[in-house]
Amino acid sequence: MRMRFISSMISVAVAAAAVTVVVMLSVSRMQGQGAPGAASAPPARIGGKPNFSGIWQANNEAYWDLEAHEARPAAVTQQGIYPYEYARVAAPPVVALGAAGGIPGSIGVVQDDGRIPYTADALKLRDENAEHWIDRDPEIKCYLPGIPRAMYMPYPFSITQSTNKVHMAYEITNTARTIHLDKVEGPPADTWMGHSVGRWESDTLVVDVTNFNDKTWFDRAGNFHSDALHVVERFSLLTPDVIRYEATITDPKVFTRPWRIAMPLYRRMEPNIQLIEYQCIEFAEEFLYGNVRKTPLVSHWESDTFVFDVKRKVPPGDKFYEWFRK
Amino acid sequence: MRRRLTWTAIAVVAIVAVIGLVRVSPVALRGGTARGAAQVTDWGEPDLQGIWTLENDTPLQRPPRFANKEFLTEKEREALDQERSELLGRDRRVERGTELDVAGAYNAVFNTVRPTGRRTSLIVDPVNGRLPPRTADAQKRDADDRTFRLALLQATDTCKNKMAGCTGGTYNPVPSPLLSDLPPQYNTGRMNRHDNPEDGSLGDRCMAGNLPDLPNAFGGNYIRVVQTAGGVSMFYDTGQGQGFQRNIVMNGTPHLPPQIHQWVGDSRGHWEGSTLVIDVTNFSPKHDFLGSRDHRHLVERWTRTSPTTLEYRVTIEDPTVWTRPWTIAMEYAKQSDEQNRIYYEPRCHEGNYGFPSLMLSARIAERDYAAHRGPNPATKDNATDFVGVEENPFNR
Repeated sequence: MRMRFISSMISVAVAAAAVTVVVMLSVSRMQGQGAPGAASAPPARIGGKPNFSGIWQANNEAYWDLEAHEARPAAVTQQGIYPYEYARVAAPPVVALGAAGGIPGSIGVVQDDGRIPYTADALKLRDENAEHWIDRDPEIKCYLPGIPRAMYMPYPFSITQSTNKVHMAYEITNTARTIHLDKVEGPPADTWMGHSVGRWESDTLVVDVTNFNDKTWFDRAGNFHSDALHVVERFSLLTPDVIRYEATITDPKVFTRPWRIAMPLYRRMEPNIQLIEYQCIEFAEEFLYGNVRKTPLVSHWESDTFVFDVKRKVPPGDKFYEWFRK
Repeated sequence: MRRRLTWTAIAVVAIVAVIGLVRVSPVALRGGTARGAAQVTDWGEPDLQGIWTLENDTPLQRPPRFANKEFLTEKEREALDQERSELLGRDRRVERGTELDVAGAYNAVFNTVRPTGRRTSLIVDPVNGRLPPRTADAQKRDADDRTFRLALLQATDTCKNKMAGCTGGTYNPVPSPLLSDLPPQYNTGRMNRHDNPEDGSLGDRCMAGNLPDLPNAFGGNYIRVVQTAGGVSMFYDTGQGQGFQRNIVMNGTPHLPPQIHQWVGDSRGHWEGSTLVIDVTNFSPKHDFLGSRDHRHLVERWTRTSPTTLEYRVTIEDPTVWTRPWTIAMEYAKQSDEQNRIYYEPRCHEGNYGFPSLMLSARIAERDYAAHRGPNPATKDNATDFVGVEENPFNR
């Protein structure tokens, strides 16, 4: 009897322990939510505020051009046989990409009248920037993207939201920014990514970004700013998996008035989503330093001009080529 | 009887359940020994957040003269501090106008010299504080690599004058045919040749960020930790603008597939009591840690040991390099959140004029040599800069 009593005690205890383990697991599973790369939706609120933690990505064409635009054949074009703007053709630096090098059209993300209110001089510079995109876009050199550009590049980013800091880590060039909800000293010099100080307005995270240098762009269309840039961002949840992102851009040296962009940022829903390094410094080396190699690999000097060779080798057995040969 | 049995069973269930909960409950963490409320987050996980740095210098390996000594006395630390502050990395000029004089680009203004730490070595396992023996293959790789680098120096004054940079090599006025050869493996260090970007060291290329992040004279070793419920994010400010973001996956999923390699590996973390344990694999074959590349496996243990200290222990395993795993321990000290002295910028890359200049100067030197206007570039040393290193008391 005593024996049976003890053994039933043991089995009860074992069962209870098992139940406890299951409970513990589910507790820790729940605590595991909200992590960048977590399998399911994060806890809705953290520190009494909406929890933006997770991995997000814009899904639009703003990284090509913030303004509304129609599709075009390439990022760098030249006049074709017609003198019309709409009949330009892909230019040599990007022609080898063919249709994969085309730029998708977009309804644009600039609010109100859809145009960026440049001063007359600044507009001229913007158009020049677009024409010299290859030489001037900091993205091509793997330089830090700046804010707001980092928010809508075609790479995911993660948000780790605590009570005093909101940390944003970007897949592009493994960079990050910390949004300070508490009091901090500003940076000692101007920065590429800005100095971000946040506050809550009800359930909206409002971020004041200052201390910029004049070296970042807004997109691949030459849209730019000066070191007087001031960005005010607003993050609010449209649904648990969609953030409404808005940025008001002020820069009296370049724009005639403040202007706004707005777009949704979508949660990456893949259960195993995580940031994969995109360490582009190395990817830009051939572009940046190919001209000082002892023996150039993909390019050569013609007097003072460095020329990237674009050769398209017709594969053997290509029917058109065989006809041409005949 | 039956009733009593039931009650006993319920009591047992309750006790077991309580024991079970105590083991994971935040209350338990809060109530643990010497752990203040500030060390648990609002959502009940151990709180590692803040800006952290290493406030002391400790050599990786125990200096031979401290063979059986794990800790230094206060007096020994003072003596070492005195010696190091007088010598290490100071602006010690060699004969003015010589190559070696201008080769020393980094003096004490650029280099970080911290007070000597308590430990005689970062390595705590093996207990002798020294790196375990290297495998035969690793030794062969080391030797091949050294032979190649020395060959590139053989016709220079560095070898002629038997400087530290030529240790193990001999002077030969005829430049080596290896000058136009590929290195024996993908290059990560500085060599006396600037034919290609790939000839540069990862540091010169602004790609030196690595794990584990050992204390280095080039500054940094700052980390910011930000946590959310079930998530940890770390930014490393290290190596004068070669910092990186580290994303730690905390959802229990397995490592990335083996074809994905990353500079700082793939970090997968979980909590063991109050310790954050991170398993790191998937390292890149193009990054090097003491000869260890894509076979490196780290197990890191991060523990908040007091409101102001964070213990970091990492076990490093790579059977292609060392005959056994080894462990280092470091103590990070908390820095002021308000002063916010951690810098994600300026980054090395955006201001990297030095690296293309090394290659451009090499092209100019070749052109001048071809036009009989300058010396044979193969007789010049643009790679080694060892002024003062031989005096570092940590190396004795």
